[in-house]
Amino acid sequence: MQKAFFLLFVLYTTLCFSQKSDFKHINFTKADRIASTIKSKRLFNLNKLTLDLTKNLDTDIEKVRAIYKWICINIASDFKLYSKNERKRKKYKKDSIKLAEWNSELKRDLFSKLLKRKKTICTGYAYLFKAMCDVVDIESKMVYGFGRTVDVTEFDPNYPNHTWNAFKINNKWYLCDATWAAGISYPDENRFIFKYNDGYFLTEPELFIKNHFPIQKEFSLLGDKMPTFQEFIEMPLLYGGAYTYLNKYISPKKMYYSLQKGNTFNFNYVFKKEVDPKNLKLVFVSGVSEKTYNPFISQKNDTTTLRYTFNKAGYFDVHLYYKEDIIATYIFEIKKDNQN
Amino acid sequence: MKTSTTVKMTTSTKILITLFFISFLCTSTINAQKVEVKGVVKGKTEEKAEPLNGVNIYLKDKSVYTSSNRKGEFTFPKTLNVGDVIYFSYLGYLKQKVTITKNSTNLTIVLKEDDNEMLGAVGTNKRFSSKRKGQ
Repeated sequence: MQKAFFLLFVLYTTLCFSQKSDFKHINFTKADRIASTIKSKRLFNLNKLTLDLTKNLDTDIEKVRAIYKWICINIASDFKLYSKNERKRKKYKKDSIKLAEWNSELKRDLFSKLLKRKKTICTGYAYLFKAMCDVVDIESKMVYGFGRTVDVTEFDPNYPNHTWNAFKINNKWYLCDATWAAGISYPDENRFIFKYNDGYFLTEPELFIKNHFPIQKEFSLLGDKMPTFQEFIEMPLLYGGAYTYLNKYISPKKMYYSLQKGNTFNFNYVFKKEVDPKNLKLVFVSGVSEKTYNPFISQKNDTTTLRYTFNKAGYFDVHLYYKEDIIATYIFEIKKDNQN
Repeated sequence: MKTSTTVKMTTSTKILITLFFISFLCTSTINAQKVEVKGVVKGKTEEKAEPLNGVNIYLKDKSVYTSSNRKGEFTFPKTLNVGDVIYFSYLGYLKQKVTITKNSTNLTIVLKEDDNEMLGAVGTNKRFSSKRKGQ
C-alpha cells in the first residue's frame, strides 16, 4: 500500500512539476565549465568534440547541458545568410521547384559554413544540437514552427520560420532554443553579438509557447492546453528579457487591447527570485512621444501584479521594462468616455 | 593420494590446452576476415554528388571513430570484421549504416540529403513599433 502511494506520488510530481524543477538537485557548474574550456576551431570531428564535452559528466541532463552551452557560446548567428534565405524564400514562394533547389543549395552552404566557420541560422543550431545528442545516445528532436519576434508579428500559417529542440530524459520531454539563447542580432547593422541567455534552457512550456508555436502540436508539451494558431498570433510580443526574468507568464494574454478612458488594467507575472519589482517600469510610446511610468505594484504569493489606470485617450505601444531590458510589448487603444 | 591429484591436474591441463587451441583456431579464423576499410563519402543534393568534408564515421558505441578529409576520403582507424557495422553521419544528410563485407576495402558512400527546410528567425532586441494608418 505504502509502495502504491509512493508510486502515485512520484507519478504526480513528474506530471505536475515540469522542466527546470526536475533537475533542481543538479548543479550545472561543472557542465558549464567544461563547455567553456573546450575549444574546437572547426567541427569536422563532431564525435570527438561531443565525447570530450560529455565524458566526465555522469548524468544525461549534464551532458545535454554541456552540449547546449557549448553550442550557445561557440556558434554565431549568420545574419547575412538569414536575410539571403528570407529573400529567396519570398522570391520562390510560388515556385516549389525553385524553392527546393534553393533550399538544397543553401543547405550545402549552410552546413559547410557551420562546420568550417561555426556560423549558422537557426535550423543549423537545431541540427547541431540533435547531431551531438545522437553521439551520446540522448533522444532529441528538431522542432519546426513559428518563432514570434519583432520582425514577424504577422504570420503566414503556411510558412514556418524557426527551428528549436526538444530532448528526452527519463522518458520526459524538455525544451530549449540555442539560437535565441546564443546572443542578439542587430539586423540593421548586420551584426551578431554573443550574449548567453539562460532562460531558453528547460523553459516552462507555458512561457515557451508565447513565441514558439510548433507545427507538431505534441512538442508544445502542453497537451490539451495548447493554444490555437489564432490565439498564438494574438499573444503579446515577448523579448529575450522575458526569458531572463520570468518564471511564468500569467497575463495579459493578448497583445492588443481596446479600453475606455479611466479603466484600470492588471499585468500579472511570476518573476525569478532575483528580480526586484521596484525596477519594473512601463514605457508608453505614442507617435514620437515616450513616457515612463512606475505602475502600482503588489505581490501575492509568487505573483507580481502591476496595476495601471489609463487616464488619457490615445493609441499606445506599452513596453514592460526591467531596468534597461525590455520584457514585453502590448498595444492599448484608449477611447474617450463619450466615444462609441 | 598424490598420484590421483596429479592425474586430476593432468585432466584439467588437458582441458585448458584444448581450450587454448580452440580459441587460437577461432582468432585465426577471425583474423582471416579482418578488413581494412577505406573509401570516399559523398553527399547527394538535388543535382550532383560532391565529396563531404568532416563526415563522422564510427562504430555504434563510438569506441572507434574517424572523419573524412577534404576530398571525402577516410581510412577507418581499426581493421574490422566481416559483419561489423559502421555509421556515416553528416549534418543535413541522412545517417547511413554500412555492414562490412570482405569487399569493403574501397567503399563509395553517397549520403542522401535530409529533406528538411532551412529556416531562421533571429533573436533581436529591437523594440516593436506600431505602424498605424495616418502616421
